[in-house]
Amino acid sequence: MNKLVVGLLFGAILGVLDGATAWAYPEARAGIVGILIGSTVKGMIVGVLSGWFGRKVHSTAWGIVFGAALGLFFAYLVAAMQELNGQHHYLAIMTPGFVVGAIIGFLTQRMGTPESRTQAG
Amino acid sequence: MPFDPDTAIGGGEARFPSTRLSLMERASAGDALSHEVLQDIVSLYWKPIYKYIRCKWNKNNEDAKDLTQEFLVRALVREFFERFDPQLASFRTYLRMAVDRFVLKIHVASLRQKRGGGVGFMSLDRERVELQALERVESPETAFEREWQRQLFELAIEDFRGCCELAGKMTQFRIFEQYDLAEGERPSYAELAELHCIPATSVTNHLAWARRTLREFVSERLRGVTSGERELRAEMRSAFRAGS
Amino acid sequence: MKALSDSVLEHLRQVVDAPDLTGTRYELEREIGRGGMGVVYAAVDRDLGRRVAIKVLDAEIGQTFAEEARLIASLEHPAIVPIYETGTLPDGRLFYAMKLVEGTRLDAYASRDLSLSERLRVVRRVGEALAFAHSRGAVHRDLKPQNIMIGGFGEVYVMDWGVEGIAGTPHFRAPEQTTAIADHRSDIYSLGAFLRFMLPARRPRALQAIAAKAMSTEPDQRYADVAAMLLDLQRFADGLPVTAFRETPWQAAVRFTSRNRVLLGLLAAYLAVRFFLYFFRRFF
Repeated sequence: MNKLVVGLLFGAILGVLDGATAWAYPEARAGIVGILIGSTVKGMIVGVLSGWFGRKVHSTAWGIVFGAALGLFFAYLVAAMQELNGQHHYLAIMTPGFVVGAIIGFLTQRMGTPESRTQAG
Repeated sequence: MPFDPDTAIGGGEARFPSTRLSLMERASAGDALSHEVLQDIVSLYWKPIYKYIRCKWNKNNEDAKDLTQEFLVRALVREFFERFDPQLASFRTYLRMAVDRFVLKIHVASLRQKRGGGVGFMSLDRERVELQALERVESPETAFEREWQRQLFELAIEDFRGCCELAGKMTQFRIFEQYDLAEGERPSYAELAELHCIPATSVTNHLAWARRTLREFVSERLRGVTSGERELRAEMRSAFRAGS
Repeated sequence: MKALSDSVLEHLRQVVDAPDLTGTRYELEREIGRGGMGVVYAAVDRDLGRRVAIKVLDAEIGQTFAEEARLIASLEHPAIVPIYETGTLPDGRLFYAMKLVEGTRLDAYASRDLSLSERLRVVRRVGEALAFAHSRGAVHRDLKPQNIMIGGFGEVYVMDWGVEGIAGTPHFRAPEQTTAIADHRSDIYSLGAFLRFMLPARRPRALQAIAAKAMSTEPDQRYADVAAMLLDLQRFADGLPVTAFRETPWQAAVRFTSRNRVLLGLLAAYLAVRFFLYFFRRFF
């Protein structure tokens, strides 16, 4: 299984789990389906991009940083879309998104087959 | 070291390098050790024991000689050598420990006799003073080892000389004697070649042969006083180990 | 005969023991070491113009070593010091010429402040050499730190194959070697003893267990082969459970936690964030 697929899978799983935590908030339950879909797609995008990064750069630390940065960015986009509806949940969306991105970045570094390299000479 | 007539006990008999049976092989044959075997032991160990007693127990020349002689006589009479067990220690160690026990017993007995009388002061024996100085740089055990090596080589050289006499190889022996036994500066191969009217390459070959043959005689001397192949190898290493 | 002086005695001891290499292509330089089986000299190969090590064995050992030497000379492995040539000196002693390894003997190397991973690396390199030799039918018989050298770049060399030591350290020799012929399981015992020697003062229990299994008194209770032991060492390095050590649930949890520190830390961070956001949401 290559790193792109690993990123896609774990991004989807973690995205679903992260989105499901919205059920703890009664005010968010009405839109839970949308939250789940959005969180899953966000996770998959972060996963694929982290997987791509993992194929190029073999460093757990940088993988975590890259994943966290992606998670933070896409979480910001989601939070910004929420503001259009008059809701301000930047902290509640971006902070978990940041950590989930870091986890995805870590997993894509540790798992999956790296890009095959040709022998020099 | 100057030649000491007090401790000269005569050289070894000339003999070809032969397969001597080891000490244990002869002892385990059931019979008492033969005169030949006992002579091998005495000739190799007399001087080391004497030197050891002088160093460790501060005895003068005469006392050390007497004690050495008495120890060996008692050892021969009491079948000391037959009782040697190679599992416990090497023969050299066994012998040295027995010497210690023997001299200690004599020493304690002599102290008992002196009790009630005056305490003996050390005489101004020049040899004793020299030995004390020697002790500060060399332990009795080291002195024993070194004397053992010296005696071993001296006996082996005598065996080698006898072999050369019988085989008509005295030229080889003389070259060996003039080079390897030389005190101070050694002659060059060219000088030896000129002296013996032979090519320099022959000098090289003769020396190589002499050293090889001498090594065999050393091995043979040790074989007769060791318990088997394993101890023989250990004794050969001790004989040649640098710095000991 | 005149008594030998100390200086003459020393001279004789050196020249009589020195190997006579006439007739060979080697020129003696100097003695570089003495072991339980013989003496090692540095020499020059006149034909190839390179320095070599010449080991001269005691005559009695040489007789049993001759056949083994041919087998060992055929072993080509980065950690096995290659033998270039064997021969017999005019005095009957066997010698063999081998690569001159310039480095540090392992007993000296191990006394440095080395990390556990470096210590295990050395053990694995030695184990790989043993596994290779066993696959070719050769047995070492006298594995111990004194027979291992570390080169200038950290390369590991295992030396003195095939000859059972006489005065070697008994701690590294399998108990059956005193009464029976050594086989590959004796080498496994020695490798276990070697692992124990290399471990630092604070020893992980799993590594102690691996060493203990390799050093079982009964050969049948040791690892079946060196590869199995190396596999356990690799599992330890990877943070996985080893076959030689039965963990308690707590020990398994500690190992799992240690192996997955970063992941567990990130998950804990996520849970902490969620906890914080949930219970303090009224302040946002």
